[in-house]
Amino acid sequence: MEKTIIINIGNTIIHIEESAYELLKAYLNEVKQHFSNHADDLEIVTDIENRIAELLTEQMDEQKKQVVDATNVNFVISQMGSVQDFDAVEEGEEQPVINTSFQQQATDKKLYRDMDERVVAGVCAGIAHYLNFDAKWIRVAMILLALVGGSGILVYVILWIIMPKAKSRIEKMEMRGEPANLQGFQRNLDEELQSVKERLAEANRHAQPIFSRFGMFIGEFFEWLGRFISGSGKLIFKIIAGFIIVFGAGLLLALIISTAAFMGFLDSSVYDLFPFSIVSESYRGVILFWAFITLFVPLLALVLFSIRVAFNRQAINKTLSFALLIIWLAGVAGTGYYVAKISSEFKEHAELTQSTDLKSFATYTIDIDKSKYFSKEDSAAYHIDDSNKNQIVVDDYGDHPFRMPSSVRISIEKGEGAASITQTYESQGKTFQLALQSARSINYNFTQREDKLIFNPRFQLVKGTTWRNQEVWIKLKIPVGTKLILKHDAYRYINNYGAWDCEDKENDNDDFSTWVMTEDGLRCIAQLKEEALNKKKLNSELLDLEQLRKERRVDTVYQDSISARIREVKEELGINTEENTANQ
Amino acid sequence: MIAENTQTQMRKGILEYCVLSIIARGEIYASDIIAELRSAKLLVVEGTLYPLLTRLKNNGLLSYNWVESTSGPPRKYYTLTEDGKGILSQLDQTWQELAYAVGVSQKGANS
Repeated sequence: MEKTIIINIGNTIIHIEESAYELLKAYLNEVKQHFSNHADDLEIVTDIENRIAELLTEQMDEQKKQVVDATNVNFVISQMGSVQDFDAVEEGEEQPVINTSFQQQATDKKLYRDMDERVVAGVCAGIAHYLNFDAKWIRVAMILLALVGGSGILVYVILWIIMPKAKSRIEKMEMRGEPANLQGFQRNLDEELQSVKERLAEANRHAQPIFSRFGMFIGEFFEWLGRFISGSGKLIFKIIAGFIIVFGAGLLLALIISTAAFMGFLDSSVYDLFPFSIVSESYRGVILFWAFITLFVPLLALVLFSIRVAFNRQAINKTLSFALLIIWLAGVAGTGYYVAKISSEFKEHAELTQSTDLKSFATYTIDIDKSKYFSKEDSAAYHIDDSNKNQIVVDDYGDHPFRMPSSVRISIEKGEGAASITQTYESQGKTFQLALQSARSINYNFTQREDKLIFNPRFQLVKGTTWRNQEVWIKLKIPVGTKLILKHDAYRYINNYGAWDCEDKENDNDDFSTWVMTEDGLRCIAQLKEEALNKKKLNSELLDLEQLRKERRVDTVYQDSISARIREVKEELGINTEENTANQ
Repeated sequence: MIAENTQTQMRKGILEYCVLSIIARGEIYASDIIAELRSAKLLVVEGTLYPLLTRLKNNGLLSYNWVESTSGPPRKYYTLTEDGKGILSQLDQTWQELAYAVGVSQKGANS
């Protein structure tokens, strides 16, 4: 039994067995490929197809058959001649569209990615085929480009997207520049049919929009990455794992030692340093334990995983790793509990206010004292005594770890009567009483030396006090008319004025700016001067304009433009223009 | 190889002349041309003939008529055009000259 196919050849309907059909189709493909270089290929092939149809019909009539089989097709082929027979006679007779085999090679070569000789995606090998180069030189050039600013990688990726894969045999031949039509004849039937199918698919693929090509590229990239990881990439991962093991082990050790250290010096001054000073004394031991577990377990897991990657061996069994997970979760929960507990200690707010009157001066200078504040114990500890009074220990300004956020803010306001300073100490706490207590623990001082007000940039907490977001607010009240000299250093502590805006442009070298208290608040003197100058200019312009208006009453256009300008100037001077025009 | 090449060249030149001569005798179908060529011992396959006929037709030496066939599709029957006839007489002339040249070359001018 054989499957039968109905074909239409030369406008004749013929029943043909499947195997015979494939034979005939392969033959016609050869013929088409052979004549594809001729100018009249369509006519020639049509003639041949017509003749084949005729021969097949004749045979059916002679043999009283309904269906063409392989014998019939073979007879047709022997009658028509194989393509090699055509060559023997036709060579050089016709004018093929492309003349010499060399030209054919040069023009027929196509840029494909060579998947057989690829290293990554066959881009370099493909280019090498196209340019008739050795692929290794292309690769060297690509690597050099990649090293110089990484452009090689970009070029590679773009080419990867643009260049199609050489999949079928025909594509591979086109890539190498082999004349695909001659070699094609040696191929067996199946391959021929397969390549025809692939060519069709390829034609579709060429028509695909670039983004679906891009999607293919991504898929291929991950495929390549997968191969890389399981192949040569394995080594790299093992090396990375090795590093992680070494560093991780070091970190684990450091963690154990530092935890032990914290346990041992539980009451030492370490807890006066900032992040540790948040923790109240009573929780210290417990929270240290939980924090240790929270950090230690994932680090240990990372090291164990690295060991597994590096040595392909499971370091611990499932039960143990499950237990580790539970311990870690407990650690997270415990830490979370205490974090919540500590943050509840910021619930209440308390502030403590203390006012001091200042000696009266026409001008005050505000400066920042950079010298470090020492308590009596500190002075004893550092051997600072009255004998070396000329020396000061300068505090470093910048923020660094273990530095308590200690915000001192100065605001300057208009005051009635004598100048005064109000210091407000604020703090959070679990209860109001505790908040007040920790606000009280703030140690802050400023000094008045004649007309100089010197503020310390930081405050200190009494030893053993936990950090509860303590803040110091200083309110300086000065009467109207009092001048204020702000030193550069003080700018960043002034809360309610942008001190940086008041820079005298002409005397830029000064390390201070001068201000004066007015009814509208503190004003920069340099700015006031500038405004006064501006006002003077505008006033004189206004006078000139009004003079002009009187002189040229006839010229209405001119009058309009002058009126407009007068209005503008008046607006800038703050004179009510509507009232003015009404008066006129 | 050289002998083969020369043979091919000779056959090719003569094939065209023979085909034109066969068609000159009257309207004829392509497969009948093959039959004639076979009987003349000039061995060719049909596939070779179609490109040749198409080229001669496109050069204006041949024309064809469609003739209905009892078996299969209609057939192309070829005839010589006036141009074809002119070319053929030129080729006849050339052939005489060549035959003479070959004869003389083989036997000598005096014999």
